[in-house]
Amino acid sequence: MALAVALGGAPAWAQDSKDGDDHQPQTRLSGYMDFHYNKLESADGRLDFHRFVLLVTHEFSPKIRFVGELELEHAFVAGLEEGGELELEQAYVDFLLSRGFNVRAGMLLMPIGILNERHEPPVYYGVERTFVDTVIVPTTWFEVGAGIHGEVGHGWRYRLFVTSPLNALEFSADEGIRGGRQMGSETNIGRAALTGRAEYVGIRGLTAGVSFWTGKSGFELRPRFDVPVHLIEADARYTHDRLELRGQIAGVTIDNAAQLNDAIARTTGVDPNIASGLRGAYAEASYRVIEGQRWGDVGVFARYENFDTQYRMPAGALPIVAFDRDAWVIGANYWPEPDIAIKVDYVMVRNQSSVVRAPNALNVGLGWWF
Amino acid sequence: MSRMYTWMTGLAIAAALAAVSVRAQSQAPAEQTVEVTAERFAFQPSEIKVAVGTTLTVVLKSDDTTHGFRIKGEGVNVQIPKRGRGTVTATFTPAKAGKYTFECSRVCGAGHGFMRGTIVVVERESETK
Repeated sequence: MALAVALGGAPAWAQDSKDGDDHQPQTRLSGYMDFHYNKLESADGRLDFHRFVLLVTHEFSPKIRFVGELELEHAFVAGLEEGGELELEQAYVDFLLSRGFNVRAGMLLMPIGILNERHEPPVYYGVERTFVDTVIVPTTWFEVGAGIHGEVGHGWRYRLFVTSPLNALEFSADEGIRGGRQMGSETNIGRAALTGRAEYVGIRGLTAGVSFWTGKSGFELRPRFDVPVHLIEADARYTHDRLELRGQIAGVTIDNAAQLNDAIARTTGVDPNIASGLRGAYAEASYRVIEGQRWGDVGVFARYENFDTQYRMPAGALPIVAFDRDAWVIGANYWPEPDIAIKVDYVMVRNQSSVVRAPNALNVGLGWWF
Repeated sequence: MSRMYTWMTGLAIAAALAAVSVRAQSQAPAEQTVEVTAERFAFQPSEIKVAVGTTLTVVLKSDDTTHGFRIKGEGVNVQIPKRGRGTVTATFTPAKAGKYTFECSRVCGAGHGFMRGTIVVVERESETK
């Protein structure tokens, strides 16, 4: 009812009631792509067209808009092929009702961290995304659902979505909850998950936010037991002239992890050693050493990451210390123009194992946005 | 005596000029300039306060790609050049109090839909502080 009134009439709180003038429905195509060269220590290098993403947007009216994002990962998809993925990362309709209250429904990006919603290649340093945004926050994290978003004034804004939960049977020791994403494919919504973010952009150059995700993810294990999962995250990004600082911390708890391990072991014969707690954090500093030249800009960066997908173990389980890792990543971006980035970095990973050594890596990438 | 007349005439002319000047100042349209930075996916500042009748000049620059700046329903829509390519200016003179939404009018990435802000138009200039 409220939706119908807001879209059809001109209630007092719908401040932009003059929107209707000279509006023409518009459809636009944009996108981003990147391909990488990855050379692990003591292994042959790999050249991978990592992402080919097309965004289609359409304005039905000034208050109703569609956004779709179709992503082809690793260039190739075939039946039972593990190498490639064709993903519908976003496909939602936004009902823009007022400054503080808007409704969104469809395939949604989870509003968690810096990179899950802001991942166009030219806007971040490093060829690959951060480890924390891979094994703690499983970017790109998208699910079907619906929710609200808006601005509440003084630089504060929010999003709050109800979505499909994770599938706990797909969790793992080394990548945490990443495998559990249902990705909108005939998802189980028996017990919906809730996610949200509060973000502050009220100081020039600063974007800071806190996010959460909570959901019961044991739908394949009920009614014997359930697997409640909770994620909490905080991040900040500050830019001043050529300097940029960013940091993020995230933690995940998985309840009933002992029962989950036992259930999976009974099915597969292998104990997956899923942890009851994961945590990760990183800090990054970057500086544009060359800016404003006719031939482009150059920036350098250094990042430290600490991430442990075996941080807390259920009773009776021991952590696999090879998954308690930290990494230094150093490198540079060259922007021949602001929407194209040529990247190079060197990754030094260490873990707590005295037996399994984590290899260092050299990465080179080219990414662009149009 | 004549010197006194000269002084009094001079003072009268000065007072008249000052009065005209004050009157002219009070009648001059008020102006306000705000610098706004656009980047994926926010305007900073995202809230601007201005008084009715004031000519608001928004000087826009981008920290990354090309963005747009549209004040919904007001016929203001400019394209903000990419980082390092300079600034663009948009002007807006609100005729009545209220809240006016501005937004990015050029698709700039996955979070483009969040890139919005508000111009709060108040009755008196004192309320903008």
